[in-house]
Amino acid sequence: MSRLQADHLFKVFGRRPDEAVRRLAVGDTDREELRAEGTTAAVVDAGFTVEPGQIFVVMGLSGSGKSTLLRMLNGLLEPTAGRVLFDGRDLTALSPRDLRTVRSTKISMVFQHFALFPHRNVLENAAYGLEVQGVPRAERETRATEALELCGLAGWEKSWPDELSGGMQQRVGLARALATDADLLLMDESFSALDPLIRRDMQDQLLVLQQRLKKTIVFITHDLNEAMRLGDRIAVMRDGRIVQLGTAEDILVRPADDYVASFIQDVDRSRVLTASAVMTGGATPADCPDGCACRPVGPDTLVADLCAVAARAPHPVTVRDSDGSVLGVVPTERLLAVMGGLGARDAGDQADAKTDAKTGPKTGQADTEAGSKADTKAGSATGSMAATQPKKELTARA
Amino acid sequence: MPRLPLGDWVDTSVDWLQAQFSWLFDAVSSGVTGLYDGIDAVLSAPQPLLFAGILAVVAWWLRGLAAGVLAFAGFALVDSVQLWDEAMATLSLVLVATLVTLVIAVPLGIWAARSKTVSAVLQPVLDFMQTMPAMVYLIPGIIFFGVGVVPGIIATIVFALPPGVRMTELGIRQVDGELVEAAEAFGTTPRNTLLRVQLPLALPTIMAGVNQVIMLGLSMVVIAGMVGGGGLGGAVYRAIGNVDIGLGFEAGVSIVVLAMYLDRMTGALGRQVSPLGRRAAAKARAALSAKRPGAKLWAHRPQPVTALVGVVVLALVAGGTGFLGGSGTGSTTASGTGGGQGKKISIGYIPWDEGIASTYLWKELLERRGYEVDTKQLEAGALYTGLAGGQLDFQTDSWLPVTHAQYWEKYKNKLEDLGSWYGPTSLELSVPSYVKGVDSLADLKGKAGQFKGRIVGIEPSAGMMGILKDKVLKEYGLEGEYEVVDGSTPGMLAELKRAYERKEPVVVTLWSPHWAYSAHDLKKLADPKGSWGKGDGVHTLARKGFAAENPEVGAWLKDFELTEKQLTDLEAVIQETGKGKEQEAVRTWLDGNPGLAEKLAPQ
Repeated sequence: MSRLQADHLFKVFGRRPDEAVRRLAVGDTDREELRAEGTTAAVVDAGFTVEPGQIFVVMGLSGSGKSTLLRMLNGLLEPTAGRVLFDGRDLTALSPRDLRTVRSTKISMVFQHFALFPHRNVLENAAYGLEVQGVPRAERETRATEALELCGLAGWEKSWPDELSGGMQQRVGLARALATDADLLLMDESFSALDPLIRRDMQDQLLVLQQRLKKTIVFITHDLNEAMRLGDRIAVMRDGRIVQLGTAEDILVRPADDYVASFIQDVDRSRVLTASAVMTGGATPADCPDGCACRPVGPDTLVADLCAVAARAPHPVTVRDSDGSVLGVVPTERLLAVMGGLGARDAGDQADAKTDAKTGPKTGQADTEAGSKADTKAGSATGSMAATQPKKELTARA
Repeated sequence: MPRLPLGDWVDTSVDWLQAQFSWLFDAVSSGVTGLYDGIDAVLSAPQPLLFAGILAVVAWWLRGLAAGVLAFAGFALVDSVQLWDEAMATLSLVLVATLVTLVIAVPLGIWAARSKTVSAVLQPVLDFMQTMPAMVYLIPGIIFFGVGVVPGIIATIVFALPPGVRMTELGIRQVDGELVEAAEAFGTTPRNTLLRVQLPLALPTIMAGVNQVIMLGLSMVVIAGMVGGGGLGGAVYRAIGNVDIGLGFEAGVSIVVLAMYLDRMTGALGRQVSPLGRRAAAKARAALSAKRPGAKLWAHRPQPVTALVGVVVLALVAGGTGFLGGSGTGSTTASGTGGGQGKKISIGYIPWDEGIASTYLWKELLERRGYEVDTKQLEAGALYTGLAGGQLDFQTDSWLPVTHAQYWEKYKNKLEDLGSWYGPTSLELSVPSYVKGVDSLADLKGKAGQFKGRIVGIEPSAGMMGILKDKVLKEYGLEGEYEVVDGSTPGMLAELKRAYERKEPVVVTLWSPHWAYSAHDLKKLADPKGSWGKGDGVHTLARKGFAAENPEVGAWLKDFELTEKQLTDLEAVIQETGKGKEQEAVRTWLDGNPGLAEKLAPQ
């Protein structure tokens, strides 16, 4: 069973929302027409599922409805139509009281501007969710301290939020969300307010924590690079609708429309695409001249790393599975085409057709790929982090 | 454009409200009075300097040693100008008004913060309350609640409520929406969101509102003094009426001392009670002591426990001495003999010299006869309203048939005229005696240049101003040559005093009897054509039924009469003896006129 399922969610602000939903559902009207009537359709027919342990990223520009969508997932906003199923329970049908119980125990949230209570110190902030649950003081302080340690804030318990840097404040926000031991973590542009280096640091730390804690995370961002770094699956939103839903590679290789395509131009594809996405499947490995410096690579090798290998090999690089069987080869010109974004779509399509034939339906593979990708990236990004986990754990997840 | 009878409607609805809801107004009145009396009893029980000490310790705790020392000096000053009791009465009035205001304003503000509809509805109501001149609803206030402190407190509440509500609403709305959302996201109930997140964070703003409420309350005490609220406001009001600059300044400074104390203390308390304020204060202190170690002594603040112990010790000492002092003074009042048997009589007066003199004369006489007498200083409109409403028993300063004609017209069915005790009075234009060659109204003609073409008048609503403009100027052919300057009685008297001291020519509207004639050497301008008409008599008015219920007092008042010499003598003795000792002066005067007391109030 999915941890979280959104089922035809609509959120319409303004007058006569139900009628607007009806008209939107049958395609009788569009967002602009409604806006002219003074009605705002923030989210239109959004549907997706999130599996336990996944990081599901919702990517969109401001005004695309992503924050509204997130707030419907924990009932802060009531959907105009549609259902939110959490562990099979329909949140939209719960009484306010039951909904509060779910929010205090099962779903926690991390905010864009941290939303720390300025009149509480770091420990009291981290313990807030437990306090709401009614956990006795001694226990909640122990658990909050643990959560703070987990986020690298041991020793800062007695400090006040305004004494901390932005990154540290957001760690407190994260600790507050983790302290309740909720299964679902909603993160609303949680790293957007941080400067780029700190942001990257926090992304890495989130990935590391995720390997240990295996939360289910819904992460909102307007930054496609961040989405691709973090997301096992990504939903791209535009004007209240989800325009594409898939893995980072899906979006990069097969953008659903020109809108998505215009986004991916800025993405560093060498750190998203893997060997399996760019290789020519079924080709025979080239003969190695004597003393050739080449070595075969795995299918999950990032294109960035693949380049380093190809630079030293006078022939196409061989892609081998973990058991040694040959999956395909990557000619250097193909690498260059992908990197330059030149004919990326065509290249992608070819590769895709071949990959599909070989490895079966893409979707079934998505989690494994994304999981290992996250792993590799976390490891490669910062050597300081003890990121590299045994491969077993990752495959178990998928 | 047809005349909209808005005023008539209001008149009718005020009467209707009074008839229908008198039980409610009575309940409110007795509740507020009880609260006021309780607080006043506590505040005025201790020795002034001990209580000043308590206030100083509180200041020390909240703001530091310098504030404590200054607070003590300020209150010692109030005590040394003998306005301590008035100051405590005013403090009680402000505290009661603030308390009631906050009890109403904070919940309203919270409600308004949570509902846009409530906020939208409240907005114009609050504007109305804040901008409507207080005097306008003060008189209906007297009709509903009677003279005394209650209408003053109610007026203060009406005036001070808007900032209380607005600041509470603003404070809560200002709390970062993300914080409220965070609280909700962790499953906090709406009630706890309010109590644990919104209110603590709104507290600095709410405390700024409390501060505003107190300051506005203090600014209303003078107006409360006009309807019998007493206290420093009464002193200021009397000082204005008599152009007593000295008393006005003393009372004014006392109000300033109270205002500054309350302002600084509520400000500091605001920082003390709000968690954010405490943090900011701790930071500032740390920064200060790091920069200038020498500043530490004056900024030193005792531990709360030390401060509490100090306050308690002083309070115990104060309680002890207050108790002893109280039992000592208790016996002086019941010294009267005769038929009064402790019956209570309430006299109202306008702070005019003849009013003060006759009122304190009767207070003394009635107390000698065993009555318990209570006097209230009021503004004329309030005096008549209170008398008609039965909260006052009688007053001795009604100028009839001309000057107070409009009040008499309005309330004559509810009043009883016990006859004139002094008269005739006269209305006139007067010039200082150093102005040569002007002895009669006719002499003013052609001398406009000398007087800058001005006749300094009083309130435009006063009866004599109408007579002057419509009749006197016309009959003496002064129209066009002189401009009658509308103003106020105190303004006229101040102008007279200023001109008199510079020996400048001035012509003012005046009437007799008036203390100005004894203070300055003035010349009444003769009125050979009799344009001013016949003079008023100074009447004693009682509420309807008073004479029937108190035949003895009724008979005395009906027979009451003073000659011009007696009245001016009495006024002079009162002037000499000084403010606040009117009754003492009356005793001295009676001692100098043996047998008069027996004659005025025969046993």
